Amino acid sequence: MQLTLSSLVPVPLKGKPGLSASGIWGKNLVLNRGAQVFVQAPSGTGKTTLLNILYGLRSDYEGQVQWGDNQLSSMSAEALAKLRAGKLSCIFQDMRLFPALTTIENLSIKSALNDGTPVARIEEWLERLGIAGKRDALAATLSFGEQQRVAIIRALLQPFEWLLMDEPFSHLDAANTLKAAALISEVAGQNNAGMVFADLDANSYFQYTQTILL
Amino acid sequence: MSGKSTQRLILGRLLLLQAGRGRLAAALAALFIGNLLLLLSVLIWWNFTVLLSGKGSGESLGSTFLVIAKKVTNDNMGKKNATIFSSADIDAVKAVPQVQEVGVITANHFPVYAMMGGNLAFATDLPLEAVPDSFLDNIPGGWGWKPGDVSLPVIVSTQFLDIYNYVFAPSQGLPQLSQSSIQAIGITLKVGGEGRGETLIAHVAGFSDRINSVMVPQSFIDYGNSRYSPTAVPALPSRLILRTADPSDTRFTDYLGQHNYTTNAQNLRWSKMRSIVTVVTTATGGIAALLLFIGTLVFVLFIELTIARARPSVVLLGQLGYSPSALSRFMLGKFIPLLSGALILSAVSAMAAQLLVASAAKERGLMLQQVPGWPVWGALLLSAAILLLLVVRAVSSAISGEKL
Repeated sequence: MQLTLSSLVPVPLKGKPGLSASGIWGKNLVLNRGAQVFVQAPSGTGKTTLLNILYGLRSDYEGQVQWGDNQLSSMSAEALAKLRAGKLSCIFQDMRLFPALTTIENLSIKSALNDGTPVARIEEWLERLGIAGKRDALAATLSFGEQQRVAIIRALLQPFEWLLMDEPFSHLDAANTLKAAALISEVAGQNNAGMVFADLDANSYFQYTQTILL
Repeated sequence: MSGKSTQRLILGRLLLLQAGRGRLAAALAALFIGNLLLLLSVLIWWNFTVLLSGKGSGESLGSTFLVIAKKVTNDNMGKKNATIFSSADIDAVKAVPQVQEVGVITANHFPVYAMMGGNLAFATDLPLEAVPDSFLDNIPGGWGWKPGDVSLPVIVSTQFLDIYNYVFAPSQGLPQLSQSSIQAIGITLKVGGEGRGETLIAHVAGFSDRINSVMVPQSFIDYGNSRYSPTAVPALPSRLILRTADPSDTRFTDYLGQHNYTTNAQNLRWSKMRSIVTVVTTATGGIAALLLFIGTLVFVLFIELTIARARPSVVLLGQLGYSPSALSRFMLGKFIPLLSGALILSAVSAMAAQLLVASAAKERGLMLQQVPGWPVWGALLLSAAILLLLVVRAVSSAISGEKL
């Protein structure tokens, strides 16, 4: 599934000075499956806006976003749900866990959408990211760093062709970031998936095929 | 535990935990009571319809059958054929909108002499009449006669037996007779005369509440009138039996009055009850429909409130890839069994009520079916279909109303 952006400009950013310098806003871009795209975006340039638009959470934009043959703005709620369940996954900047559910329940509810990743595998990933001890803790009681790792694992518990990441390591230390990035690379590779990784500063967590300044 | 059952469990916690058991119980109770009242009002209407139309048994409660005759007045008494219904009269009665069927009551126009020996010895001339079988309230077994038959079945008005048992027998020191003992007695009938008569044995085959007369099969009267009547012209009737839609209809009673026709006023009074029952059941039905509407409203509002309270979860589930239709299916999977439970309980309660009513009616000599009839099931199906439609619409519009 190809990602095509055509003259995309969010309404709130329209007319803002410096927009022409952006590598994305107002430009035409075609990203092929398997591409590893790093979107470097200083604060306030619309990084979260971009990922929310790509994930179909915002529709206040001009121009067009196309996933494969589907125009995002004209997709029905049912079609969007199908896209999110099987082809497009996302790690939100604000994690978005169910606070009243435990770690394992937050993961199971995602995994059950498809055939379901075996619990043993989920537990293995929790172990790898150092939060196995929080398996049965309520999400509301987890630290931001722990919540972020749960959100990362959750995004990997489905088949996907593209993985959208909005500052996924913002609450992690360097060691945990490396572990998480390794897990993401491994699972994305198994899915032969592309990624759009948005962050503030230059980094080498993944082997980027393209770096775009927002 | 399988992935799917875990999923259902977690979805239940996310979407239904906020619902509140008290509110759910109140919504279901409102639905149950509303539906039960609706079924009971239909049940009351249906039972009265059965009783008033006399379908339950031979009783004449609110019978819609009326026997009419032309009133004998000082002016017409003594005038020959003054109380006879001509063909034109009969056609006019048939044309009255409230009249569904007209039957001619044919009297014997030949001599009939009845006699019996023993303790109850008597000998008398006897008037006989016949009506088409469809107008009889009870058709006894063995009813019918053909030339050559010696045995003749007779249906007697129950009022005649009452007069004998309670008036005549005590005053004459004669034994009282039960219906079954009367039926065992054979009465000798001599019909015709002038040397070409015949003798038959009549026996009482049944009793009628509907027609005050001694009735024999139509074939016998026709045979006797054609064979033994002194006049060659077919005799015209002086009484008609009518089946009416609603004898209490003022247009119908006005018609009878205008033409100077008489009938059994008691029947008209009974049939007044039909109008009263219609008014009462319509009012009960109206209140029941209102309660069911309120019950449905409470249940639908409960569903909307539940989904509104679970809004953050509904939105996040949508962001994770749960489709609106999948979430609606899950919610309906939880609500429809509860809804069905309330409806089934109301149907079972209505069945129990019918059983009680039937046994209470039986003690009073009225026959009612023990199982509610199709109008009750029809009302249940209709209310279930409307409820289902409203609930499905409420759930899908509440779920899809959330921006996922």
